[in-house]
Order: sequence, then structure tokens, then C-alpha cells
Amino acid sequence: MKILSLIAGVLVGAALIYGSLDMPKWGDPHSPASTHVSPYYLRHSIEDTATPNVVTSVLADYRGYDTLGETTVVFTAGMACILLLRKGRKR
Amino acid sequence: MIAQIPMLIVVIPLIFAFLCPLIGLWRKGPCYYWTILALSLCALASIDTLFAVIHGGAIHYRLGGWPPPFGIEYVVDHLNAMMLVIVSVISLTVAIYSKRSVEQELPDKVVYFYTVFLLQVTGFLGIVITGDLFNLYVFLEVASLAGYALVAVGEDGAPLACFRYIVMGTIGACFYLLGIGYIYISTGSLNMADVYQILPQMYHSKVVLTAVAFLLAGLAVKMALFPVHVWLPDAYTKAPSAASALIAPLMTKISLYVMIRVLFSVFKPVLSIDLLPVTDIMVWAGVIAILGGAIMALAQTDLKRMLCYIVVAEVGYIVGGVGLANATAMKGAILHILNDAVMTVGLFTVAGIVVYKTGRHDLSDCRDLFKKMPFTMAAFVVVALAIIGVPPTCGFFSKWYLIHGAVIAQHWVFLGALLFSSLVSVILFFRVIEIGYAFRPSHGGHSGGGHAAAIDEAPLSMLIPTIAIAIAIILIGLYNQTIISNIIAFAVPKL
Amino acid sequence: MFEFIVSYYNYWIYIGLMMIGFYAMMAKRNLIKKIIGMNIFQSAIIFFYISTSVKKGATVPILEHGGHGHEHVAHAVDVMQYANPLPHVLMLTAIVVMVATLGVALAVAIMIYRRYNTLEEDEIIMLLKRG
Repeated sequence: MKILSLIAGVLVGAALIYGSLDMPKWGDPHSPASTHVSPYYLRHSIEDTATPNVVTSVLADYRGYDTLGETTVVFTAGMACILLLRKGRKR
Repeated sequence: MIAQIPMLIVVIPLIFAFLCPLIGLWRKGPCYYWTILALSLCALASIDTLFAVIHGGAIHYRLGGWPPPFGIEYVVDHLNAMMLVIVSVISLTVAIYSKRSVEQELPDKVVYFYTVFLLQVTGFLGIVITGDLFNLYVFLEVASLAGYALVAVGEDGAPLACFRYIVMGTIGACFYLLGIGYIYISTGSLNMADVYQILPQMYHSKVVLTAVAFLLAGLAVKMALFPVHVWLPDAYTKAPSAASALIAPLMTKISLYVMIRVLFSVFKPVLSIDLLPVTDIMVWAGVIAILGGAIMALAQTDLKRMLCYIVVAEVGYIVGGVGLANATAMKGAILHILNDAVMTVGLFTVAGIVVYKTGRHDLSDCRDLFKKMPFTMAAFVVVALAIIGVPPTCGFFSKWYLIHGAVIAQHWVFLGALLFSSLVSVILFFRVIEIGYAFRPSHGGHSGGGHAAAIDEAPLSMLIPTIAIAIAIILIGLYNQTIISNIIAFAVPKL
Repeated sequence: MFEFIVSYYNYWIYIGLMMIGFYAMMAKRNLIKKIIGMNIFQSAIIFFYISTSVKKGATVPILEHGGHGHEHVAHAVDVMQYANPLPHVLMLTAIVVMVATLGVALAVAIMIYRRYNTLEEDEIIMLLKRG
């Protein structure tokens, strides 16, 4: 099992590294990720949301629904732990 | 209010789940009725959305009013709308069914069981309705966490089965997240429609190839494609009956839906069919899954484990059908998603009734059941005929389309696998029916002894949903042309 | 050659870290070691995403001229000066998801420990088989 996991790990890592060869260079300011959607957030954050902290404005306003999903994840984990761990009353 | 219905479909179970523990602090009884109320409203909203999509075309709902790709968007087209109705109606049926079963198996955890039940349904609906890749990951995790909890409170041995489920499920979700990461790095956007526009000029790059590979690998773990299905038999066998009746039909089908979305609405079909051999690999994966699931099912002596391997084989049908990549096979595969969800919930509700009556789910516990529970077993026979593929049940029509698609694509191995698994299903279900009728060789005089087993039918709250599922199987079969021409014909991607 | 390594080494380091976590999740026999491996794997994915938000010479994505309510900002924002905020946002959510999964996994491990009094997978399987 350990040898199998080692081989699987090496193969998956090699696939990921192969995929990274065509990626934009580290710190490239003209990469697709830095020039497509995020300049809109940086330019319009103050006039749309009046927040200078762009991470907050994206988290709470533009992509606020993901934050609701994240809150649901925390609630689900809490309810799951109660369901799993609470000992029933001894009858 | 009516314009907000797509949002309400996800929000209603969520709000009701938030309030469920508060109601549980007051009294335990109302939680069951609270769950049914939530899921009924949700089912009405999704049926309304389905009719709106049939009459008016796809619905685009912008969350917060921000235009995509800067904000998150819900896109409800025909495939989505059908999946929403499947998820909400099946959840409602299982919720109605679950009352006696939960009271017997988890007497002191009723309140939190229903809370996690509602959260699970929220997660499923959120996955199905969204048009944004990262939002899908968030709701995938909500559904997965709720699923882990529902499985772990089962019988002896459930926590260990659940731990293996957690490890494999997390690997699947993390591979999916890596796939999204690679797509984001190469395009800068997370919206499915936006990526569909931008990506074609990069189809030759290594990043996109790796993204496709990891997205499909992650989804393969979640949908229990042979050979990464090893978490499924233990987890669904040892889970409580209501939990396995909810999760078994839905989790795998929703992962299949996400796979269809990724292959045809995020990447252009030409990538998976011509540029990369994805669909060829998928047909072979489907063949292996069907054969593996069928053979393993033959070897089981436990009723629920046998049903779990049947689920693994059914996933193979749909993966192979999508892989054949022609319109007929796609129609068969999408129709089979609907049919298989209904058939699987039928199988697991009957298994749950067996557990309720006898406390165990071995095949030998099915003895004399045809005499004691005639209505339940009649429903079981209908579901069995559907899985074998006998007209006029729904299973026949989706198999017919898949066989037709295999002939068009001239893929004889897949055709052989389909026919082989139908034969194996005949053997499997005849074995159960034989045990159920307790056929014994007659010893001289009358066979079976003189004891007339009294009719000890399942309680009504468990029996009525089971019979409703059996009736639905026949109705879907009779009306399959209506369903195909109104919904599925538009859901098939243009290949 | 050196150019090549310097422009991609961030991805490779985090991929290596991911594979350490992946190996631990699959190969180790102790349940807590598997959970730690899961944590390493998910943390490495989070680092991987965040490393793509870096821009050469850029600072944190907090705009300097803001904070005055709805005053019209006369200066145009120079996008090249600020790091990409979107991966940070996604990873805030992913961190929360990671912690929630860790919590549920540990709860299941507690359930297993209460029942079998051990956390080694082979011993538990043997105890299960013995019924």
C-alpha cells in the first residue's frame, strides 16, 4: 500500500508540474489572472462599495454569496459535530 | 417575489435548517413536520422554475445585481431545472418516509438529524443551480460535510466507513479545487459561461489539459467511478436507512451532472471529443464500471451492499453514455440520470423497510417477506423490473436509447456490457424474490409448513412513499416521450 | 535555466508539499496522521492559489486614496501597483472549508476512539471482523 501510494503521489505530482510549465511566470503583472476580472475590482471598489480594502469589498459585496456559503459550511460542521458527538441521555 | 424564485429554492431549506435546532429546543416532534414543510415549498418552487424554463428559456439570476463575471450568477437551463426537480422531489419523498426509521434507529438525535438533512439538501440544490465554478466547490463541501455526518451515525462500523469516505471525498474535492485553480490561472475568470468564451484559444496548452484531467479525476472520486468507488459500499451500507435513501440516489447523480456541465458548458465539446481522447476513455471507464459493479453485486450476501454495487454499475451506464458522444446516447444518459435516481431511491426505501422490520439487512432476512409485506414487495418487484429494463417501466426506455447510441457509435463492447448487466440484474433480483417467497423443496406433504405468516405491513408513513415511487417509475416510463421532447431534447448539448 | 527555475519554482514547491500531504493521507495507518496529511494537502493548495496573486513590485490590495465615503476619486487607480485580490478572497473561503472538514474528521475520530479504544486502522479492522 505504501509503495502504491508513493507511485500515485509521484504520478499526480508529475502531472501537476507538467501542467505548470505553460503557466504565467511568478509575479507577472500581465498574466490573465491579473488582467481579466480583478482590475475591475481594484478600479471600482471605492465607487461601488466605498471600501478601500478591496479584499473585503470582493468578499462581502461582489462575491458575498460565497461568504454565505462559507457561513453555511461552518454551521454544517457545527451541527455535524453535535450530531456525531453528543451522548444520548441514559434511559 | 416570483422573480426571486431561483434564489428561494436554495434559501428555503437553508433558513429552515437554521431554525430547526431552535424548534428542537422547544419540542422534538415538530422537527419532522418542519422538514416536510421546508421541502414541500422547495419542491413547489423547483417545479415552478421547471415550467418557467420550458416556456421561457434559460433563466439568468444575478446575485447582488453584479453582472457576471464580476459577480456570481445562477443559470437555470433545461438540464438544471430537471435536476432541481429531481433533487427536491426525491428529498421530500425520503423526508416523509424517514419518520419511523429515524425514531427507531436514532431516537435521541432526531432534531440534529433533520437539521443536517436539510443542510444536505441545501448543498445539493446549491451545486445544481449555480453557474460559477468556485461557488460550486463551496456547496459541494456543504453537501459533503452533511453527508459525512449522516453516514457516521449509522450502525456499528459506520464511523470507520465514514472516515474512509472523508479521506476519499476530500481528495476528490481538492482535485476539483486544483482544476478550478488551473482554469483560473489561465483565464482569470471563474464564471462558467465566461470561461467557455475565453478558453478555446488556449486548448492546446498544458494548463488546460491538466485542468480537465484534475476536474474529471476529482468528480470521478465523488461519483464513485470504478475503481475509486471503494468508499461507497461500506458508507451506504452502514448508514441509517433514511440517510442512505437520501444520499445514495442523489450524490452520485449530482456529480454526474457536474461532469456533464464541465465537459459541455465550461469546455467546448470539441475538446473532449476530438482534441483529447476524453470521451473514448469515458466509454471504457463505463464498461469497466458496469462489469465491475455487476460482478461484485453477484458476490454479496448482504442486501444493502448488493444495492450499493448496483449503484456503481448504474454510474457506469451514464458515464459510458456520455462518452459515446452522439445525441441519442446523450439523451439516454440524461434520461437515465432521472430514472436511476428514482429507481435507487425505490431500492433503498424498500431496504430501509426491511431494516425497520427485522433490524438487519442480510439477504436471508428477506425470507417470507412476500407474505408478510405484500405491498412493499410489489413495489420492490416494480423497481427490480425497472433496473432489469422491462417495458413499460422507465428503465427500459433509457436502456433502449443507450443501446441505440452504442449501435450508432459502433461500440460493441459497451453494448455487450449493457446486455450483460441486464442479465446479472435478472439473477440478482430473482434471488431476492426467491428468498422472499421462501421457496423450499416440499417435504412429502405441504411445502413451507403450516405457519401462515401474518400480514405485518410497513407503517403507512414508510409505505406510501415507497408505493408512490413505484407508481412514478411506471408513469415516467409511460410519459417518457413527453419528458424527452420537452426537457431532455433541449438539455442535450450540441455536439 | 536559472531564469526558468526562478519563474516557476513557487508552483513546484507547493506541488511538492501537496504530494507530501497526499502520500500521508493514503499511506499512513494511524487516523490522526491521515488527518494531518489532509490538512497539509489542503494548506498547500491554498498557498498555491495565493502565490498566483503576486505581482512584481506590487503592494497589498488596499487602495491608498480611499476611505472618504462617496467622494469622487480623482486619481485613477494604477492596477499594476496592487496585488490581485481575487485569490485571497477565494482562499479565505477555502481556509474555512478546510477547518470545517478538519473538525468533522476529528469528531469521527473521537467516535471511533470511544468505541474501539485505538486509532490504528489495522487494529480497528481486526476488531470489526471479530465482531
